[in-house]
Amino acid sequence: MRGEHSDRPSHTILRAILPAAACVLMAHSAAQAHVVCGNRVFPTTLTMDDPGVSDEMSLPTITLTPTPSGNSNSYGYEWDKTITEDLGFAVNGQYLENLTPGQYSNGWDNITLTLKDQHPCIERYKHQELAWSIGVVREITGTGSTRLVNNGSIDSVGNWAPTFYIGKGLGSLHADSLRPLAITAEVSRVFSDNPSVSPSSWSYAASLQYSMPYLNQHIKALHAPQWVTRLTPIVEVAMNSPDSGGTPTGTIAPGLLYDSNNWQLGAEALVPANGGTRQQQGTGVIIQFHVFLDTFYKDWFGKPMIKKNLWQ
Amino acid sequence: MKSQKIAAAFALVAMLIAPAIVQAHAFLDHSDPAVGSTVPTSPAVMHLWFTQELEPAFSWATVSDRSGTAVSDGPAAIDPGNPSELDIKLKSLPAGTYTVKWHALSVDTHTTEGDFTFQVGKG
Repeated sequence: MRGEHSDRPSHTILRAILPAAACVLMAHSAAQAHVVCGNRVFPTTLTMDDPGVSDEMSLPTITLTPTPSGNSNSYGYEWDKTITEDLGFAVNGQYLENLTPGQYSNGWDNITLTLKDQHPCIERYKHQELAWSIGVVREITGTGSTRLVNNGSIDSVGNWAPTFYIGKGLGSLHADSLRPLAITAEVSRVFSDNPSVSPSSWSYAASLQYSMPYLNQHIKALHAPQWVTRLTPIVEVAMNSPDSGGTPTGTIAPGLLYDSNNWQLGAEALVPANGGTRQQQGTGVIIQFHVFLDTFYKDWFGKPMIKKNLWQ
Repeated sequence: MKSQKIAAAFALVAMLIAPAIVQAHAFLDHSDPAVGSTVPTSPAVMHLWFTQELEPAFSWATVSDRSGTAVSDGPAAIDPGNPSELDIKLKSLPAGTYTVKWHALSVDTHTTEGDFTFQVGKG
């Protein structure tokens, strides 16, 4: 019955699939941000974080994923707040629903907190279009639905994840047609609070972006409708590899980002990256509406709480 | 359907957090001569149009030749009739490639900068 948890035979299958599916979905719930350095604007990515700290909000992030026994959907939120000019935190979570024939379970996932510090975009980095950050991500168990904990959909064990984020624009390439390209990446070591129950893991992700705004503003004016000049075709790859020796899981996510002055809309397909992931999910889709709060609010919500850069 | 209600609720909240008046980073919208273009003769003025209104005291642009020598005829100035337009008078430019560098402070205090090139004469 919808909205209720039932203990039917299919529940055994569900118990086997959901934790793994939840791990894949969790890879999409990490903090997200955008950053400007020199000519380069690194847009907000959907299945991974990027090397920025700023005031912004993702609401909603909708993920629709078919599973072998039905569908697993999530409706996520995220709020990013700057503490100083370089240091910020993020709060994010998602509402999950798992639909299988005769079975429906739903509820909130655990809340995840991120503390991230971005190295300033110094003069040398402006020319190199380089940005990087370090951070730590904490999943807070006990904040999600007890029902989802009990059926294994969400973690019962928390974890800490020190993370390194980097973004590099390729604007210095000689071939003009390649200069809009940029690469971002992140790598996390996920330390489980109880590895015997939930193994620690490595989490890694990368994106390849082709910025039409960069092409239009810095290389060659496009004689095209304005909406075309605001698009960024992108491919993201996000993987998680547990220490237990299990198969790494993750997705390859090709899609499009549209950036207005104040908000971003993104949509990507979620293609299983390998056979291990295909056993847990089919090709899904992720859609996100993202607001740059610093363009809306001039007060506390839109600027650092302390006007200071810890690096300077 | 429950999922549709949840999506609608998220969308509603998203709309509610957005106040009516907004400002943003000032990025280059377009220019004349256009980014990466080739013009047959020396333009008298380089026009830069931005996506936001600019703070005149903290927004500037330069035009220089391949050797880095400035070829502008005076400082850049905001168009009195359009606060999002920055204009730079140019000296008579011989054929060649020129680099435009701009620095913009939008009225909401976001700083952005960028550069591009254009050519005078045959491409």
